[in-house]
Amino acid sequence: MNASAANTATQAELMKRERAIARKYSGMVPWGAVAWGLGNLAIWLSLWPLVFLDIIPLWLGFLIACANVALCYLPSHEAQHDIIGRKGSKWRWLNELVGHLSTIPLVLPYRVAKLTHIQHHLHANDPELDPDYSTAASGPWQAIWKSIQNRQPGAKGGTNAYVAVLRRMGREDALVDAMIYQAVFIGTLIALAWSGHAIEAALIWWLPRHIGATYIQFYLSWAPHHPGREQGRYKDTRAFRSVLGNIGSMGMQYHIVHHLHPYIPLSKTPAAFREMRPILEARGCTLDGI
Amino acid sequence: MTFIVTKIFHFLPLIFGIAFLGPLLAQVIQAAGWVPPLGVSPLILGICLGSLLGLAAQVRGRWI
Repeated sequence: MNASAANTATQAELMKRERAIARKYSGMVPWGAVAWGLGNLAIWLSLWPLVFLDIIPLWLGFLIACANVALCYLPSHEAQHDIIGRKGSKWRWLNELVGHLSTIPLVLPYRVAKLTHIQHHLHANDPELDPDYSTAASGPWQAIWKSIQNRQPGAKGGTNAYVAVLRRMGREDALVDAMIYQAVFIGTLIALAWSGHAIEAALIWWLPRHIGATYIQFYLSWAPHHPGREQGRYKDTRAFRSVLGNIGSMGMQYHIVHHLHPYIPLSKTPAAFREMRPILEARGCTLDGI
Repeated sequence: MTFIVTKIFHFLPLIFGIAFLGPLLAQVIQAAGWVPPLGVSPLILGICLGSLLGLAAQVRGRWI
C-alpha cells in the first residue's frame, strides 16, 4: 500500500492491511533472541572466573558487564510477549527459560517483568496506570537523571512503582520473586565484599546494573514514548531516529511497531515498519523523520 | 517471618552501606595505597564511611 492509497483508504482497510503486514513478519521462532539471551548470560557468568583468575583485567570485565546488563532485557522481553513459544507450543519451555534466565544480571524477575510490562502495553502513557510512566522526562539528560532518581530507596517510580502495580493487580505472589532476587543480589554482593572481592562485585554486577538499567530505561521506555503526553493506539509510541542508530538503541527506533503488534519479533520490526509506514503516516503517528 | 523480612528490606540502605559499601571503601583505600590517619585500619574507616552513607540514604530515602 503506497502513501496515496493509504490516505484514501478507510479505517477498516488500513487495519486489514496493517494486520496482514504484521502477520507476515510474525510466527517464527526468533532464534537470534534465544542465542542472545542465553549467550549474554553465559558471557556475564564467565566474567567472574575470568576476572578472579586474572585472565582478563577488571576494567575489561567491567565494560563487558555493562554491555551484558544493557543487553539482557530484550530477550526476556521477547519471552514476555510469548514470541519464542506460545502457551501449549513446542517451544514454550524455551520461551520461559529465556524469560527467566536472561534478566538475572539485571536482577529483574520474569514474572514481575511480564506482569508489569503487559500493564504498560495496556495503559501506555497513563500517569496512573502505566508502570513505566515514571520514566517520562522533558529531555534526554532529564531522562537519565530521572532513571537514577527512580532507583533511590524512597522513590515512587521505576521498579518501585511495580510494587504498587502488582498490589493493584492482586499479584503479591510476584513480589516474593522480587524479594528473593533482591536478597540473593545483596547477599552475593555482601558475601563477595567480606571475602575480599568488593571491587570485583562492584564492577561486575553493582555498577553495571545501574548503568545498564539507565540505558534500558532510556531507550526502551523514555525514548519511544517521549513526550509521553498522548494515549491511544497510534499516539502513545513514536518512531525516532537515535544518534546511536537502530542497533545502538537496541532496535527501539521502530518500537511503535512493537506496541501495535507485540507478537512481531524485535529483529523483524524494522522491515515491518518500512512496509507499514504509509499506514502509520495515514494514522497520524509520530515518525520523527525516520 | 513476614515482619522480619519486611524490616530487613526497610533497613536495606543502612545494611547495604555497612555490609557492602564498608568493605568496598576499605578495599578501595587499600588498592589506592592510602594509609588512614591515627592508625585506623582501612576496614574500620570503610565501615564508618559506609555506615554514614547508608544512614544518610536511610533517613533521606535517597543515595544521591
